[in-house]
Amino acid sequence: MTSVATHFPFIKLVVCAFCILLCAGCTVRRVVINDLVTLEQVSFIHVGQTTILELADHIGAPDEVTESEFGVVALYNWSDIKSSGLDFGAVARLFLPYAPTMSLNKTGITPEQFQVVFDPQWTVRAYGFSRRTTDDPVIWFWPF
Amino acid sequence: MIFRRFLLLVFLAIMIQGCVVTRGTIGEPLQEEAVSGIKKGSTTMAEVVSSIGAPDRIIRGNDLDIFHYYYYDGKSPALLLILVNFIRMDIKSDNLYVFFNKSGIAEEVVYGKRTGRTQFRLWPFGD
Repeated sequence: MTSVATHFPFIKLVVCAFCILLCAGCTVRRVVINDLVTLEQVSFIHVGQTTILELADHIGAPDEVTESEFGVVALYNWSDIKSSGLDFGAVARLFLPYAPTMSLNKTGITPEQFQVVFDPQWTVRAYGFSRRTTDDPVIWFWPF
Repeated sequence: MIFRRFLLLVFLAIMIQGCVVTRGTIGEPLQEEAVSGIKKGSTTMAEVVSSIGAPDRIIRGNDLDIFHYYYYDGKSPALLLILVNFIRMDIKSDNLYVFFNKSGIAEEVVYGKRTGRTQFRLWPFGD
């Protein structure tokens, strides 16, 4: 017990150095574009009844309106882009004038879309999500 | 006194070192008064153009001409330290659609404003 108490400052130093080494060269980037549209938010939509105005009242104006073979389509776009990297050469910056670059990076760009097709009376004919969010961790630098 | 000020200055310099604040916009903010001034069934295409300006896009759908106005606002704080970097960007958009009939009269107005909720948020974790 006495021995551990004697070495306590040294253990703290080692733990601190280990934490610094763990964080060294760590870069976390995140870009969030527009608000996420969830299934719950669009549960009020009834095909053949809900109008474009009611849609805008609930989830805002679409980001894009375009004409297709099936009718006018309103598109809601959003994205949560996560990117992180780990530069193993960053520790060298503390000791050396030259810092070698040895980095692993990963970026996940997930453009997502909610699409609503309208009939000529501007009521909803069909709607759906282009894809669903897979909750990727913010930090995931392993590119392989 | 001078020494204290110097210390305060050094402290502030240490605190804000590595801080980067960026802001980017696309287009012009849409004026609420101009949007609310569009009256369905009476406002003409020319009046809309004179109050808001030329549209960013013109779309045709269901035999209507649709004027699309948009504005994007992005805020990005970053903390670039010697060992750790945090960068976050928050982008939101405002969209205005004015639907005109064949006579060039506004038939419908759809407006959504999100940019009021754009924030300078540094912490990249969580929602």
